[in-house]
Amino acid sequence: QVGSSESSDRFEYLQTLVTEFQDTDSDEAKEQVLANLANFAYDPKNLEFLRQLQVPDLFLDMLTEEQENLVEFGMGGLCNLSADPDCRDAILQSGGIELITSRLSSPREETVLSAITTLMNLVTPATRPRITDPSILHCMLRFSLSESPRLRNLSAVFLQDVCSEEQLDRARSQMAGRHSAVGIPLPRD
Amino acid sequence: MATPGNNNPDCWSVPDVYNHHEQKKVCISRPKYREGRKARAVKVYTINLESCYLMVQGVPAIGVMTELIQLCALYGTVEEYRPLDEYPAEQFTEVYLVKFQKITSARAAKRHMDEKSFYGGVLHVCYVPEYETVEDTRLKLRDRKSYVMRAAMRSGIIYETTSSSSISTSDRINPGHSENTGGPSSVSSYSGFPLLPLPPQEHHFSRRENQHGVAPTEDKMGTLHNAFIEAKQQGAPSPEHTSSNRDRHTEHTGTKASACRFVPRTTHLENRKRKIEESDEVAVSVQKQPLIGPKLPEPSRVDMEDESLNTTVSLIRNTMKQVESVPECKPVAKKVKPRRRI
Repeated sequence: QVGSSESSDRFEYLQTLVTEFQDTDSDEAKEQVLANLANFAYDPKNLEFLRQLQVPDLFLDMLTEEQENLVEFGMGGLCNLSADPDCRDAILQSGGIELITSRLSSPREETVLSAITTLMNLVTPATRPRITDPSILHCMLRFSLSESPRLRNLSAVFLQDVCSEEQLDRARSQMAGRHSAVGIPLPRD
Repeated sequence: MATPGNNNPDCWSVPDVYNHHEQKKVCISRPKYREGRKARAVKVYTINLESCYLMVQGVPAIGVMTELIQLCALYGTVEEYRPLDEYPAEQFTEVYLVKFQKITSARAAKRHMDEKSFYGGVLHVCYVPEYETVEDTRLKLRDRKSYVMRAAMRSGIIYETTSSSSISTSDRINPGHSENTGGPSSVSSYSGFPLLPLPPQEHHFSRRENQHGVAPTEDKMGTLHNAFIEAKQQGAPSPEHTSSNRDRHTEHTGTKASACRFVPRTTHLENRKRKIEESDEVAVSVQKQPLIGPKLPEPSRVDMEDESLNTTVSLIRNTMKQVESVPECKPVAKKVKPRRRI
């Protein structure tokens, strides 16, 4: 069948990318391949293959890189993957929530936006308490006051859709008491 | 409505120029196997970057706004547009903000219009999600998620067959359904209905049943085409954009059925779209059959909040479509003008 040969080609291609990513010494190639993989993660057709190739872990690894480009692309990849239930579970199993949360303080807006969307995608009944942790809500409250319309809108969606009124009220009053929002950095660019 | 910063009442401020408006440098150092058909920059697209709002830069300032919007309308219903006079533009060019009804239309428009020459200028088209409202953003994310969920539920085999042009009804049920939910899955949308339809004619009543019958079998005697349009209309989200709808209609009657599924943004979108268009016609005609796969919310359907009103709406729309399609078999696709300006 045509479909199966097409999909095995696809798998092989993605595998080649992953291999190049792991083997290359060139930062430039690494960035390019990572961006490729992250963009492939946008298409649900590739998700099963990417999961088999453990690309969710590859993206998570990038979150602790020093280079902001790698972090941004890795987070973008996670954002693209995480709408899929299987990929979501893979991310959760690898301790994704903490890694992603830690990047809410990234200086890059694109990284922060991807992180927020990914966190929303990771919400399940089991993970909701961790994703609505007060520290995350404080970040979102801070972002909702940002100058950037995209950051403001996305954090507003998070606050309205992910957490309860009570959680929100509690987070608000905690912030008012401690002025902790001031300490939460906003992305610079 | 499309003001950047909806919480910000200062609508007179100059719109900000964001990084993602910039045209990034094309990457020239890729090895052969990673080279796409088109030179591209190293950039990761996510749903956050996409938007039904596009900014078109580099439009020659020679009064070609109508032509520009007509060009945009080739890719889907344009809901709103306006010149961004305040936005820093190159000399003798203008910048426009265009809001498409669907993100898939914006995607197609960006893909086809970016870096294309237009009345002597070269357009630069980019997504401008900062013009979204909170609700726009919410819907965008919801559509993306439900699309991916749907794709996950669907087996790989069905997914593959949907992109083939041959048509087997049972496999098409899901795609047809997804079209009806109006998620991110349709490339073009048939929204609304003519404001001034011709009076109803008797023989249309028989065709109405196509829409409400349990299993439409309108694929005989040449009624398929009409039935298809009706089904579209029923699922169409907002009734207010008359002219553009007619435009869509005239453009696509016969061959074009709009890519009903979410079309991957990646490389072979164009090809896929064409195939899907061919197969979609039947997909829509079988969508009333029992569905395989998850039932999805149908956010874009016009809801009058009353069952009978809804039925009436679709009946009326249906009839109007019928009436419209009969006298003008090949109306000229040139009714874009009376669009609302924002």
